[in-house]
Amino acid sequence: MIELTVKLFGPAARAAATSELSVQIDGDATIAADVLRALRDQHTSIASLVDAARLAVNHEFADADTPVRASDELALIGQVSGG
Amino acid sequence: MTRMSADVHIIEGPLPAEPTPWTHAPGNGALILFEGIARPSEDGEPILALDYEAYEPMCSRQLQLLGDDIVAKHGLIALCVEHSTGRVGVGACSFRLRLASYHRKEGLAAMDEFIDRLKRDVPLWKTAVKA
Repeated sequence: MIELTVKLFGPAARAAATSELSVQIDGDATIAADVLRALRDQHTSIASLVDAARLAVNHEFADADTPVRASDELALIGQVSGG
Repeated sequence: MTRMSADVHIIEGPLPAEPTPWTHAPGNGALILFEGIARPSEDGEPILALDYEAYEPMCSRQLQLLGDDIVAKHGLIALCVEHSTGRVGVGACSFRLRLASYHRKEGLAAMDEFIDRLKRDVPLWKTAVKA
């Protein structure tokens, strides 16, 4: 089992009322798609926002099969609003 | 000719009225400027300011990748983007994009595409500060 911390911003941070959430995933390593699934399943406050969001791993947008380790910096990038 | 990379500036608070100096080679047929100004209302409600939050260093990296890609794709001479973080009061400038191109058409297309992709791929969020 690994525990991962995911940073939140904007609407997701407001919905969760926090700037970080943790998820637990079976095994020693995982992939980005499983982190998003765990966020959706383990944190209902942001479940509706996760479908339209992407995961950033170490400051780069991840593909669904991008490997994720406990030491990686993770961020949920939902709808952005710059400009 | 060697293309220049994009200039990227993240600035705390409103952008200064005087734009950040930028470098562009001779040969411009078009110089295009876009400025985003904080509106006095959001969804019909009066507001005092916008609070911008950037996820760094990803925000700067994404702006650099985007700017460099737009320069290459549209054959621009130069591109300079400035964006605020933190609080920007109503009427102040929070976003400035300048580009130099050989011709009007590719410059205007580049401007439009840059802003569309900024609103999709750059981790920046704004929150209205209600009056």
